[in-house]
Order: sequence, then C-alpha cells, then structure tokens
Amino acid sequence: MQAVEIKNLDFVYSKKTPYEKQALKNVSLSVEEGTFLGLVGATGSGKSTLIQHLNGLIKVQNKKRSSVVVNGMSAKDRKTLKKLRFEVGMVFQYPEYQLFEDTVARDVAFGPKNMKLEKDEIDRRVRRALEVVGLDYDRFAERSPFDLSGGEKRRVAIAGVIAMQPKILVLDEPVAGLDPVGREEILALVKKLQREVSPTVITVSHNMDDMAMLADRIVALKDGEIVADGTPKEVFCNRSLILDAGLDLPTATSFSDILRERGVEIPDDIVTMDELAEELAKALSKKRAVADVDATEGNGNV
Amino acid sequence: MPQIEIKNVSYTYPIKEGYNIKALKNVSFSVEKGEFIALAGMNGSGKSTLAKLLNGLFLPTSGEVLIDRISTADEDKTFEIRKRAGMVFQNPDNQMVATIIEDDIAFGPENIGVPREEIVKRVQDALEAVGMSEYRTRTASKLSGGQKQRIAIAGVLAMKPEILILDESTSMLDPNGRKEIMDIARKLNESGITVINITHNMEEAAMANRVIVLRKGRIAMDASPKEVFASGLLEACGLTLPPITRLAKNLAEKGFVFDGAIISEEELAEEICRQLK
Repeated sequence: MQAVEIKNLDFVYSKKTPYEKQALKNVSLSVEEGTFLGLVGATGSGKSTLIQHLNGLIKVQNKKRSSVVVNGMSAKDRKTLKKLRFEVGMVFQYPEYQLFEDTVARDVAFGPKNMKLEKDEIDRRVRRALEVVGLDYDRFAERSPFDLSGGEKRRVAIAGVIAMQPKILVLDEPVAGLDPVGREEILALVKKLQREVSPTVITVSHNMDDMAMLADRIVALKDGEIVADGTPKEVFCNRSLILDAGLDLPTATSFSDILRERGVEIPDDIVTMDELAEELAKALSKKRAVADVDATEGNGNV
Repeated sequence: MPQIEIKNVSYTYPIKEGYNIKALKNVSFSVEKGEFIALAGMNGSGKSTLAKLLNGLFLPTSGEVLIDRISTADEDKTFEIRKRAGMVFQNPDNQMVATIIEDDIAFGPENIGVPREEIVKRVQDALEAVGMSEYRTRTASKLSGGQKQRIAIAGVLAMKPEILILDESTSMLDPNGRKEIMDIARKLNESGITVINITHNMEEAAMANRVIVLRKGRIAMDASPKEVFASGLLEACGLTLPPITRLAKNLAEKGFVFDGAIISEEELAEEICRQLK
C-alpha cells in the first residue's frame, strides 16, 4: 500500500513579487508503507517545503495539476485535512522549542485532546508515549518540561507527536544540535518508533552517514527537483550526482575512494563504516593467506 | 605568561530559593597565545558556562578569570576584556544588530570610538578574512546560516581580538556551513589568534591542538586530541569518537595494528595501505 502519493507538485514562494522563488518543481513521489525514507538535499533545496505538504501545513498551489495523497486522503480536501493531520506526525527541527504546557503530561496530552478522545484513552496514550520515548511516567509526568535537559525535552516533544499514534512519522533533522550520546539515543528511538508506532518514517537529514545506515530508500532534492531516488547504495554511489547536489558522500564512501586510489582492492559501492571495516578485514586476511602460501613455498624451495 | 588563566573557578546558577545548580566546580587551566583549543563535553557539562566566563559575560561565583592578567571581575576593564576576547554564539539568527552587513560589522568598533576611516578599513579587512567582501552592502536576512556565522565572526574580527571564542557556533549549520566556519577558524589561528571552540563535535575537536573535556562541571581530560581519543574515557563523558577514529578502532579488533588513536583520514589511509601491501 502507498502511504504517500505525490504527483506533479509545484510550489512557488512569494508568487508575483520580486522575491518569487520556485521551491518545488514537478515533484512526484510514492512512498510504500513500511519504508524508512531519507530525504536529503542542500539547504534551500525544498525539503522542508515538501514535507510540510504532507499534512497540509502548506496548501497545494496548483490544484488542477498537483496532488498530495496520504493514506488515501487528499491534502486538498478540507474535510479530511484534520484527520490527515492526526495520521501524519510531524516532528520539526528543534521540536523542544514548541513545548508550552506547565507539566510534561499535559504537553504530551495536547495532541490527543485535540483529537477529542475520551479522558481514559488520553491518559493511556500519554503513559504509553512517554514509555516509548524512554521517559518514566511517574518520574516525569508532573515535572515542568522547561526544567528538563535538552535531550529529555526533545523526547517529550516527540512523545507529544506519537501520542496521536500517527501512521506516518515525518522528522526534520531530528538530531540537530544534540550531543553525540543524545544523537545516538534519538536515532535509536526513531528506529524503535518505526517498529512500534508508525510503520512509515520520512526523515530529513544532512548527515549522510546516518542515512546510509538507517534508511531503506534515499530521495535527493536539488533546487526543488528530485535528482536521485533509490537505495542508499544506488544513490550514494552516484558520486558526481551527490556532489553536484551540494551533498557530502558518506564518510565510508569517500574514504573507500581514497583507499582505492591508493591501490587497496575493495568494492566501489561501500556506504557504511561497518561494510568498510568488513571489506578491509577481508583484504587483510587475503593478504595474510597469500603471505602464508609464499612462506610455505619458500620453505619448500630451501 | 599565559594569555588566559582560569583559577579555581566555580559557577553556580541560582534557580530558585534554596535550589542552585553548580555548573562549574573548581576549574583551573591556562591557555597560551596562539593555541587552538576544543572545549568539549555533553549538554549540561558546563562548557558554555565556561565560555561565557572567558569574556566576562558571567563572573565566577568563586575563583578568578584573567585575560592578559586583567581580571574579568574588574568592571572598569570590561570593554578591554571584550575587545580582546570576542565571542560567536550558536544561533546564526540571533546575532545581527543591523540590517546592512557593513553596518553590523561596524557596530562594535563604533561603540569603542574607533575613527571613521579606521572603521571602514576594519570592516573591509574583516569581510575579506571571512570571504564575504562581495556582501558588504547587502542585507543579512537572505544569507545562509553559515554565511551569517561568517558575518558574526567578521563582527568579532573588526574589534581586533586576540582570542576568538566559538560557542557551539557550528551546531545549527549544515555540513558545508560547518566546514566554512572551521576553515576560517583554522586560518585565523594560523594568523596568531587564539581559538577556543566549544563543541561536542569530535571531528572538530580533532582539529584542535588541545582538547579540554568537561564532565559534570569539572575537567575530566586536558590533552592532545590523540591522547583524549586513546583514553577510552570519552563515552563516560557523554561523547563519542569521530567516525575515522572509530573505524580505526573497529579495524584494530579485526587484525590491523595501530600505534595509538588515529585522528585523520590521511593517517588511517597510510596505515591501511602499508599493512595491506
């Protein structure tokens, strides 16, 4: 089943002014349910504009030509827009800036309350959401979100989104500004959320290493157009295209290129550090095996 | 004589009646002119508090901070301290005071009464140093995050500082912006300016000649990047090894042999080639 179906999407900012800028050009994209999609592109390439169409925060401009359909609901249809917003959980950059309630529990309950759920159900969801993001309900529920650490605040903000039990989770740079341990915790959390809450995940990221490791599929934008779409290997191994889009190659890819230039025999389609380590270990044991054979033959000759 | 001396500095944030947070506990170290220091630590380790103590934005609860032997607590010398130690903050959108870029950069020198012709020259030099000369008469609002941070650095340079403090100045930037800022920091350091980069990015830490790691308000390590990465203590401080160092560590478990921690791609490439030949 297609979780997202975007057809011929155009978007122009500040239309008919001197600042007019075409942010999206004829973007078509279908995302199968259960996909972890990494959306990459340089600053200003249209990533944020694209994802804000998914829950109707940005309205489809050209209604005749373009369409955005999420779980069978059109973002153009005002009647289904509210339902659509509950099904697409949107975690913005620095989501902790949007915390506003005086307790953690109330902040997380804000979304479910808007869904007009029963009080019991709201409580259940708040508990469950906090649990999933790794915050103990009894310890955190009554605290002010503003007294928490940066990483904890971000978890509360994410809990507020998943308490609506969205079917699609969209995250804009979920680890921006976090320290290394916070980064790893949130990346692991996103994977967990895909397993336990929202089967389809779309993540915007500038970190190609993270995307090579986590995503099933990479879509790259450049100047509002999709310039690459495929598995991490397919997309990141197209080096000229990635660099042309203003992106970095994953560290493993660029470093394996350096090694290959110097004559190290490893494949040219490496995108993760684990793969690279495996390949180098293979090369080392091959070299040792050859050395052993040489040594044995050498002995025979003596 | 050290350029910066931090002597037994503690800093306590008063939160509410009877409830304080001790952000720094008895921290001492000194910095020589021309050093490139990374001040690292996880969120809440006290690194940004320490940064703000360096140019007198905060004054120590106890202890002393001296810049060229001047105490930051000496109120008559506050301008002198700020002139010598300039700071660039985290958020590129929060640091502009004027609409036009040259006005923004001139703001500091104007405030300390630098003559007009001298200001014009300083603005030009500062823009050149950060590679933004062509933007002199433009507005700041249309710039990328990295460009805005370059303008913020130019604003500091126009004060002719001896010390540049980057308080997580790259953490909100994309990879290109981060590279731009680190390249500029390296160039300024080569021209003799002391750089103190507050960061939790360990690739940036690897570029420094000395890494000071803070943990819960105390100095946990103070050594070269190589020594810090080889210590095995980073994770306990909430930090991780840079990708290249981590790869080397992983390879060491698979039979490669390295002497100490690897901190650059060049170093690792050379070692791998040697061992596979």
